[in-house]
Amino acid sequence: MPALEVDSLHVKYHSASQPVQALADISFSLAPGETLGIIGESGSGKTTLALGLMGLLDNKTSVAGKVIYDGSELLSLDETKRKAYRWKRIAMVFQNSLEILNPVLNVQEQVGEPLVKHLGLKKLELENKINELLDLVGLERDWKTAFPHQLSGGMRQRVLLAMALACRPELLLVDEPTTSLDPIARREIIELLERLQKEYGFAMVLISHDLACVARLTRHLLVLYGGRIVEAGKTEILLEDPLHPYTRGLINASPNFFAFRDLWGIPGEPDGGNAAGCAFAPRCVQSLEQCRSEIPVLQLLSGGRKVACSQGGIMTLLEVKGVSKAYRLHNKTIQAVNSIDLEIRHGEVLGLLGETGSGKSTLAQILGRIIKPSAGQITFQGKPLNGELTRREKGVQLVMQDPFSSISHRFKVGQTLREPLEINKVGSEQERERRIIEALTRVQLPFDELFLNRYCYELSGGQRQRLAIARALVMKPALLLADEITSMLDPSSQANILRLLKGLQNLEGFAMLFITHSLDLARKVADRIMVMRHGSILEQGSTQRIFTRPCCCYTKDLLAAAFEHEHN
Amino acid sequence: MSLPRLKSVKKIWQEMTNFGRIGLLILLLLIFMALAASHLTWHPHNVSSGPPLAPPGKAHLLGTDELGVDLWAQICYGARVSLIVGLGTALMAGAGGGIVGTFAAYRGGVIDRLLMRLIDIMLVMPSLPVMIVLAAFMGSNIRNIILVLVLFSWSHPARIMRAQVLSLKEQGYIKMARVYGGSDLYIIFRHLLPELFPIVAVSMIRLASMAIVAESSLAFLGLGDPTSRSWGLIINHALNFSGIYFTPFWQWWLFYPWLFLTLLVISLAFLGRDLERIADPRMAKGL
Repeated sequence: MPALEVDSLHVKYHSASQPVQALADISFSLAPGETLGIIGESGSGKTTLALGLMGLLDNKTSVAGKVIYDGSELLSLDETKRKAYRWKRIAMVFQNSLEILNPVLNVQEQVGEPLVKHLGLKKLELENKINELLDLVGLERDWKTAFPHQLSGGMRQRVLLAMALACRPELLLVDEPTTSLDPIARREIIELLERLQKEYGFAMVLISHDLACVARLTRHLLVLYGGRIVEAGKTEILLEDPLHPYTRGLINASPNFFAFRDLWGIPGEPDGGNAAGCAFAPRCVQSLEQCRSEIPVLQLLSGGRKVACSQGGIMTLLEVKGVSKAYRLHNKTIQAVNSIDLEIRHGEVLGLLGETGSGKSTLAQILGRIIKPSAGQITFQGKPLNGELTRREKGVQLVMQDPFSSISHRFKVGQTLREPLEINKVGSEQERERRIIEALTRVQLPFDELFLNRYCYELSGGQRQRLAIARALVMKPALLLADEITSMLDPSSQANILRLLKGLQNLEGFAMLFITHSLDLARKVADRIMVMRHGSILEQGSTQRIFTRPCCCYTKDLLAAAFEHEHN
Repeated sequence: MSLPRLKSVKKIWQEMTNFGRIGLLILLLLIFMALAASHLTWHPHNVSSGPPLAPPGKAHLLGTDELGVDLWAQICYGARVSLIVGLGTALMAGAGGGIVGTFAAYRGGVIDRLLMRLIDIMLVMPSLPVMIVLAAFMGSNIRNIILVLVLFSWSHPARIMRAQVLSLKEQGYIKMARVYGGSDLYIIFRHLLPELFPIVAVSMIRLASMAIVAESSLAFLGLGDPTSRSWGLIINHALNFSGIYFTPFWQWWLFYPWLFLTLLVISLAFLGRDLERIADPRMAKGL
């Protein structure tokens, strides 16, 4: 029997200009002693949900649905009855800020307030209880007479926690406990919460932007966007392998979850969630017509995971099954690629790591249709990969390692970019012109007549590689295969090109297979990592997992070799 | 279809070295001589028109031979033979060899191996002795001489072309063009030919000078077309005049045909060397 059950909770704020649907159709349940994290961008409704559970939303707000706690429906109770639950059984640690504490009350009075109100404690009993609580949250008793403005952020957080724990609640709602805390205070608060939760065994709902904190403190996770749950499941699995594009975007934007990755936010702003379709559709890389017209419902998938997406979560773009490539060399068969299975999902960057000769490039060339595999199946969006895919928009495009070879030095810049369009008769002359200029702008190259008429041999390596990327971009690919594209460039050109490419990828949402032997680059760029050796894939997982908890010995060796200097 | 990297004449002229320019000028002059032979000469080139063995003078610009035939007229008309043999061989052997080489490299496999063995055989055959034998058997007229020369010189451009196409085939941009759906013809015309053309041109200039020398050698040995009066034949006649070195006659009878022959070969060599440099845009840039 769940302690807390929320059934299709709707909350609408009636502001002066127009009503705002803050929460829509929120349903979940929480067992006693269980922990639940809630993540989402600002304005996604996290705090509203906490206030709703506490019954603290004012009269101007329309609330519908049910919040059942321990068998009784809280929303229909009148204020006096609700008070019996509030603070005694369900308490909340408010988001840390100066105005949340009463400025004219000192710590002692502040912490004592709920004790007096709800438990009716007096004098000595009160004194003892306050001391006990302050000890519990690790605040020295000397601070009892201090006023809120005299406390540091970490101390205020402890005071708030002490207040919430005053009546030994069964359910604790914690709103952003670690925001605006320095690393030491943050760690102490997380450890404190972890310890208290274990000791007291209360159920906890943790609202936070801090994915590392959520990952550590909670077992279940809800992802909110535009007032709706877009994904739900076990915290660990959800963060390792997100199903909703929004969850993936959140993870990619969180440096505290995996510090080494380059920072990229989800492009665009949330727009209120009043649209007829999926609220995330305008920012989603895989949105279809359907997404804009119907609101996706939260569907139960295998493994107890839930996702609200009309496409059933992040779609698989490319699927490779048992692909092999063997070469014959002097009566010896060399298995360059040995029965590989892999999957590239919509809008993700899959890093393919491996030493020289591990078959990475062969795999890229198989996927780029330059060489034929000797066995296996490749499907792209459910259809077999054929030659047509490299010739059309929304297909597959390859950028090769060597820009001096992949672009004819006899061609002019304009001719180079026009080639794929001309061969495949894409668009009118003006359309081609427009696309070429667009692609050149994207890769930050000049696009005036002078540059379009320059011969490619006059360009530097970095410029040529950008031109190669631009040539891939004029075909508007859904999947970009980047085969060691920066290995021949100097560090500065490499940094420029990678930032550019990652930015384009983030903005346009194409998927990318990023092949490299550099672990540093993979760690910065990739969402998921595959480790390849001797033509086989040894290990795959999220970048965060592979780099922090590798399973395979070879990966461990690679990491040790690459990051030796970091541990000294 | 226009070749994307054929530069304007002016630009090539600007990029040439002085040696190349001199070579080109001499070559153009010799071609002009051959074309306008009838206007440049005032004596017939095949019948006697003055005293035998007259030294160069007002009447006979370069003197006469032992039959009293004007040497200037002989050399002007002889230029036609040399140039026809040179250009004809170069064009036929260059184009034919080029096609064979490209084909072999492009198709690969058994065809490639067969053609390569054939080329090897042609390369190891000592060309001049076989040429002499063939010329002797097939009869010596200009057409046969050209055919024999072509037969023995196509293997060189074929080998060069095969190597070039093989390396080009591995170039990323060719692979990309194919992935983008470019047909064989598209790739050959758009990518291979512009890349190969300068190399063929250089190879053809070398062939031309080789053919001119070879024709002269055959003529010199008495296997040339006796009616053609090529430069080699003039030299052959001069040398057949017993004791020519004891007389002053060699100073014009032998010297002038030799001079023109040398000028032609040297001008082709200068031009070839320069074109080779200009052919590759990277070399022109000094990269």
